[in-house]
Amino acid sequence: MKTAHEIRPGNVIMLDGSPWVVQKTETTRSGRNAAIVKLKLKNLLLDSGTEQTFKGEDKLEDIILERLDCTYSYFADPMYVFMDEEYNQYDVEADNLGDAAAYIVDGMEDQCQVTFYNGKAISVELPVHIVREVIYTEPSARGDTSGKVMKPATITGGGTVTVADFVKVGDKIEIDTRTGEFKKRV
Amino acid sequence: MSLPSQQTNTRQQWDIFCVVVDNYGDIGVTWRLAKQLAAEYSIEVNLWIDDLNSFSHILARLNPELARQQFDGVNIFHWKAENLTHFSIGNVLIEAFACEIPSQIIESIVKLKQLTPSKVPIWLNLEYLSAEDWVEGCHGLPSFQACGLQKFFYLPGFTSKTGGLICEKNLFVERDAWQADHTNKMRLFQQLGLTGIKPEHQVISVFSYETPALLSLITYWQTCKSNIHVLIPKGKSLNSITSLLPCEIADLIVGQQISLGNVTLHVLPMTDQQGYDRLLWSCDFNIVRGEDSFLRAQWAAKPFIWHIYPQEDDYHLIKLQAFMQIYCDNLAPDLAKNWCELNLAFNQGNQITVANHWQRLDFTNLSFAQHVKKWPITAINDADLASRLVQFVKNS
Repeated sequence: MKTAHEIRPGNVIMLDGSPWVVQKTETTRSGRNAAIVKLKLKNLLLDSGTEQTFKGEDKLEDIILERLDCTYSYFADPMYVFMDEEYNQYDVEADNLGDAAAYIVDGMEDQCQVTFYNGKAISVELPVHIVREVIYTEPSARGDTSGKVMKPATITGGGTVTVADFVKVGDKIEIDTRTGEFKKRV
Repeated sequence: MSLPSQQTNTRQQWDIFCVVVDNYGDIGVTWRLAKQLAAEYSIEVNLWIDDLNSFSHILARLNPELARQQFDGVNIFHWKAENLTHFSIGNVLIEAFACEIPSQIIESIVKLKQLTPSKVPIWLNLEYLSAEDWVEGCHGLPSFQACGLQKFFYLPGFTSKTGGLICEKNLFVERDAWQADHTNKMRLFQQLGLTGIKPEHQVISVFSYETPALLSLITYWQTCKSNIHVLIPKGKSLNSITSLLPCEIADLIVGQQISLGNVTLHVLPMTDQQGYDRLLWSCDFNIVRGEDSFLRAQWAAKPFIWHIYPQEDDYHLIKLQAFMQIYCDNLAPDLAKNWCELNLAFNQGNQITVANHWQRLDFTNLSFAQHVKKWPITAINDADLASRLVQFVKNS
């Protein structure tokens, strides 16, 4: 069991007797610091989707499916192709990558985990922390160094991350792939 | 605990569970909701509260020693494990503000689902109010629980895609009638033992958490030429202004006045919710906190400062900004800027700027006065929380 707070895109959870792959997680804060976690899910048996909301501490049954360490190889629309250390290739639907797709870039060396269900590659989990380069962001407006003033930044691959105001174009930043949050400048 | 009876009574039974965390906020919201559901929708409401002592401060008729009692058509139960024997499964189960419904109840509903699935109640998690964008995306979503039951997240909010805002059907009519006759407020002040207030004096109510910004504001008001009366109940606000008090807070008595030049502090007696509404309607400016009094200040159609419940990493400021953005949507930019800066400074406890922002904001400005009157109608968005909730249950 995992708490809803610990669930990541790529996990597979059992709900109402069916396996669901987590395509997207969105954590927000309610009152008194309580977390609300919204999950976008795809039913692996019926191929149907749903959105569900949980308290951060709600327990969810995650299924341990077969997994393989892989690296990203190339994109063959609409499939992302990953390769294991024996050079076997696995196709994963773009839809199943959810938010993780924003961090996929050509030449990336991050060790990913491809998950299989009934022999089919169904999802990919990225490492919790990845490093990407900022390719565009507005210059710092106020010279803030506290890290509390935030602004949007485009990273390699085209995704957008909210970063601290002191981050500049060309900086490498660490991102938490579970939440999409900027962690620090590397 | 028992399963539903076989009687053909069509009157709905709703159970609302509430854990009192911060004295009056959670209980304030659930009590208002319970009363409204009973009064306007003839629903049999059972309100389960874990702390009747705190509840009795806003409902003086309540006996904290009694496990079961009824007021305003609502059955009030002291929520203790041993009292759950009174629980019978109704039509709707509400866990207010993410409190945990007792496991015995969940187990009995799981059993009911196996026997009679059609009798399983709608289970709702009534969440905190927020003006943030994500609320629309989460409101009404299901939440499949490990026990096999489905719960729904019900999120109050300011747009038509959210759960709405608590507001009784006739509230604005009553408020307008009250504010149309100035003798009402003078009579109320008299009833509350607040002496020395003249109709032309400025009256400000204060119900905040602790903040140095309050001390700064009152110190600034002392330099103003007009007479200002500050109404403060015993509680957290007073902790912020101990340097202005002639004695220890514990020694202050209700009704006591403290003169600080043109400013008079009045120690306000505790009042019930209707009394508090009327107080907000009667003051020129209100400083409110939390969720319940925050909404009531808006319904009062008077200018206000919202002292929002502090969260980790200053996340409450994001919630404040989200509200200020929608509140100021139709306000002139200069007025909006001043009002937002005042609220932000107060919430950041900024002693240096809060008084400056107060000074810059002209509350008597006609467009601001019009805005505070129009805002409640805009915010309600054609349907209040209770009516949307009833509709949601009907559609579920």
